[in-house]
Amino acid sequence: MIRRAGIVLAVALFGLVFATLTVHHVERQSLPPLAKRYVELVPRELGAPNVITGILLTYRAFDTLGEVAVLFMVAAGVGLVLGRRERRTETSFRDAPQPSRQASEIVRTGAQILVPLIAIFAAYIITNGHLSAGGGFQGGAVVASSAILLLLADPRQRFDQQFLSSTESAAGVLFVLVGVAGLLFARGFLDNRVLPLGQFGTFFSAGAIPLLSVLLGAKVGCELSVIIDRFRV
Amino acid sequence: MAELIGSLLVLAGAVFHLSAGLGILRMPDAYTRMQAGTKASTLGNTLVVGGIAFFHPDWTLKLLLVIYFVLMTNPISAHALARAAHRIRVPMTPQTTVDALRDAREQSRGGA
Repeated sequence: MIRRAGIVLAVALFGLVFATLTVHHVERQSLPPLAKRYVELVPRELGAPNVITGILLTYRAFDTLGEVAVLFMVAAGVGLVLGRRERRTETSFRDAPQPSRQASEIVRTGAQILVPLIAIFAAYIITNGHLSAGGGFQGGAVVASSAILLLLADPRQRFDQQFLSSTESAAGVLFVLVGVAGLLFARGFLDNRVLPLGQFGTFFSAGAIPLLSVLLGAKVGCELSVIIDRFRV
Repeated sequence: MAELIGSLLVLAGAVFHLSAGLGILRMPDAYTRMQAGTKASTLGNTLVVGGIAFFHPDWTLKLLLVIYFVLMTNPISAHALARAAHRIRVPMTPQTTVDALRDAREQSRGGA
């Protein structure tokens, strides 16, 4: 009885909190000055219809580089913590190839159909980051989700660690190189105007943003796949 | 007219989503909750997305892809989750009397 009363009280309090939030909410009729400035600047200066990607990959590209570095450190840390456990599971797999561990036929067939679909969708998200919602980070996460599906379909699957880590490093180095090119040929580190801006709203436009997006997608996808690979049973 | 049909489809989908939520709240064990959530939300999603197609006919192809993707992924994930729950012996409600997966597994073990 007391528990039930507590639940009712908690729900009422939550209702009160949300009611006060919504009652005093007024829909903004105009953008705040900073947002307005970005909304005007990004299409004009960078030639990208998607303002968010324009900010993330040019004005705040240095922050994005830092975020990717953080992700890299997470991957390294997870590898450090879980590295020893992996060796043990490898031997246990060899000692006892448990047939009951195999995924069911539905999951395996589904993975065969879905993984290519997910990969195409990831490529779409990554390469259209400057035109619509999406970009390198989101697309990389989708790549990693297809890696999870592969692991679910076959837990004994081995990813090519060498390929993943070298792709990831190459993408990171190229990202910084594009940034340095911006320093030399345009107006600052990671300036997207090292490449021609092109026709507004087309696939090949917005300068270096699509290129940076692809590099970011490759890097994030590889890093997240490595992390997922470390968490295998 | 098209907008009315679209709105009705979205409303019907919302009703199925509501029943999915109710099912997850009210069903007695993990398996029945899983099937309530999956079945009703798959149909609900299909109806909602189909209703949106009436509002934006130029999105139809993309929306069909969304429907296809959900029709593929929702049952597969529910199947995998239910099998995993069965493997780690998540208890069933006492009302459930038939366990076909256990019977089939015992039969194949007995045969081999």
